[in-house]
Amino acid sequence: MTVSGAFERHPGGEVATYAGYLAGHRAVLAAKCAGLPPAQLAARSMPPSDLSLLGLVRHLGRVEHYWFEMVIDERLDQPRLDDDDPTGGFHRVEPTLDSVAQAFGRWQEQIEYADACLERLGEVDPGSPRRTRDGELVSVRDVLVHLVEEYARHNGHADLLREAIDGRAGS
Amino acid sequence: MESSELTTYREYLGHFRRTLEHQCEGLSPEQLASRSAAPSTLSLLGLVRHLALVEQIWFRRALQGLTDEPALFSDQADPDHEFNGFAGTAAEAAEAFDAWRDQIAKADTWLDTQDDITMADEVVYNSDGKRSSKRDILVHLIEEYARHCGHADLLRERIDGRTDL
Repeated sequence: MTVSGAFERHPGGEVATYAGYLAGHRAVLAAKCAGLPPAQLAARSMPPSDLSLLGLVRHLGRVEHYWFEMVIDERLDQPRLDDDDPTGGFHRVEPTLDSVAQAFGRWQEQIEYADACLERLGEVDPGSPRRTRDGELVSVRDVLVHLVEEYARHNGHADLLREAIDGRAGS
Repeated sequence: MESSELTTYREYLGHFRRTLEHQCEGLSPEQLASRSAAPSTLSLLGLVRHLALVEQIWFRRALQGLTDEPALFSDQADPDHEFNGFAGTAAEAAEAFDAWRDQIAKADTWLDTQDDITMADEVVYNSDGKRSSKRDILVHLIEEYARHCGHADLLRERIDGRTDL
């Protein structure tokens, strides 16, 4: 059974609500990876899908960097991480301790950046505009809800990848 | 740019309802019912039944206090009845999609009565009297749909190779 966990309430205003869900999903992904050696973290355990747990971790480090550092903090004058990889970092992993350390290290670094960014945001008007790399105008709210749903969808992938590796399911 | 809070939630919710619909398109009842990501017991038909129940629990029971309606696809003897209680017939698939679409239509009718001001209102969301904001419940619905759409991504890819990421 791989149904997501029980509802936990998130008190506070809008930004605090989104930050609470985001923290929950980061913890779910970490738990889905816990206790596995590099070979299993890098395994494509739901073929023909090319997804792996380690690929998800690497990808989500890239996602955190783009939305928090480049879009919300308006620092678009830098390349996206893994910009030169057509798979967005998903394939740029290997079943080695180095590859695991690199993906998790970068993810953790970006989470620390993001948490500081959320702290600074406080309860700013979530309707405040930001610009994406493609020039599209988006609200801070839109960015934060997008991050929650992108993590949630990838955690749906992580649920099935992990269950196929060792039978572990649940939130 | 969409700057309204409620409209943002409705757009994401609509996106994931359409995504699940799309992941089920063109499949036979047997394929919809197949546990294609074994050892997981999930199936696309199980997800449709589950999300009909999720829409009912949150929009009817929690947000509107309509707690007398019998819970969809539920059986006290099996807490995962939505995922287990079917054989894969055309009638079962039709029943699941009808119930899901009916709940979506009812949910949208309620959403039409809301606005950005009501998002901070609190409702009692379970039988223990726990309360949370409408905002919290709507963001929960988005992330629950998104996670199940992640399940649907892999279930569908393993049935016929189709991807929708």
